[in-house]
Amino acid sequence: MSDRDYLGEFEHIIVLALLRLEDRAYGVTVRQEIEIRTKREVSIGAVYATLDRLETKGYVKSHRGDPTPQRGGRSKRFFRVTAKGVAAVNRTHHVLQSMTEGLDLIRSYS
Amino acid sequence: MTSPAGFVRPPRIAAWLVKLFASTEEESILGDLLEEYSDFASKVGVAFARRWYWRQAVKTVAHFVRSGFCAAPWSTSIAAIGGFLLLRFVSGLPDKVLSAVTDRYLAFWSTHFEAYTWMLNGMLIEHLIGSMFVGCVVALAAKGREMIATMTLALILCTLMGTAVVWVATHGRIEVAWMLWSSADPFAIVMGGVIVRTRRLAATTWLSKA
Repeated sequence: MSDRDYLGEFEHIIVLALLRLEDRAYGVTVRQEIEIRTKREVSIGAVYATLDRLETKGYVKSHRGDPTPQRGGRSKRFFRVTAKGVAAVNRTHHVLQSMTEGLDLIRSYS
Repeated sequence: MTSPAGFVRPPRIAAWLVKLFASTEEESILGDLLEEYSDFASKVGVAFARRWYWRQAVKTVAHFVRSGFCAAPWSTSIAAIGGFLLLRFVSGLPDKVLSAVTDRYLAFWSTHFEAYTWMLNGMLIEHLIGSMFVGCVVALAAKGREMIATMTLALILCTLMGTAVVWVATHGRIEVAWMLWSSADPFAIVMGGVIVRTRRLAATTWLSKA
């Protein structure tokens, strides 16, 4: 993976959700955090598919929690952002800022 | 699985579909869905929770189908096309066997006509079993993407049949029985995929428990 890799829109949203949730980040909390903040319904499948992709790229790491009765005896899978993931978020932010700099988006294009 | 007091079971078919299509992490996904489902059921009501669960299941399955195909378009296509060619070969076999048997024992069949018609009906079932066999082979070849590969093959067949139906409709009369019979092939192929996927899931669960 090169240093010029940027995060896709949903990848970006997921990493930001993980950073917000810190050590409470697992499927349910990530999905709810995105729904609350973006006001759009997200499927749990989309969340896991993106998290798996981010883990393959080395941007997030996961570990299993203990099984709980509320989950039918299934364990939670917790996620956290790696240093490489934080660097990717910063890079993406920087690129977006550079691209929007000087643009009066509300007045010019509304 | 432990069941706490007041446990409300989520829609079984929806949970089964998620399990079938999730290539990895079906345990975490089903656990997350169950946790939120129980939460909704206790706060908003079971009817709302069931609707939410179904909506999540359908969206999740659609996402896995799309992302599964995009992740390995070539291997999935090769498995489906290989299955299509195999189906062409397998679907002709019952006819060949029937011709060989009738030619060999012509005198017997002419005196036992009922048995002959029974065998003709049996051929239709053989045809379905053949399609299911092809579905199993395709699913075995597409490890981890059993459902996507068999659904791709079923989609190819449906497209061809749709074209045939349009052609027949413009050139003559369509028989409903023929249409229904034609749609049984893709269904049998997907069923083959379901069988292989279910067997693999059971084997994985057994290995993780051992």
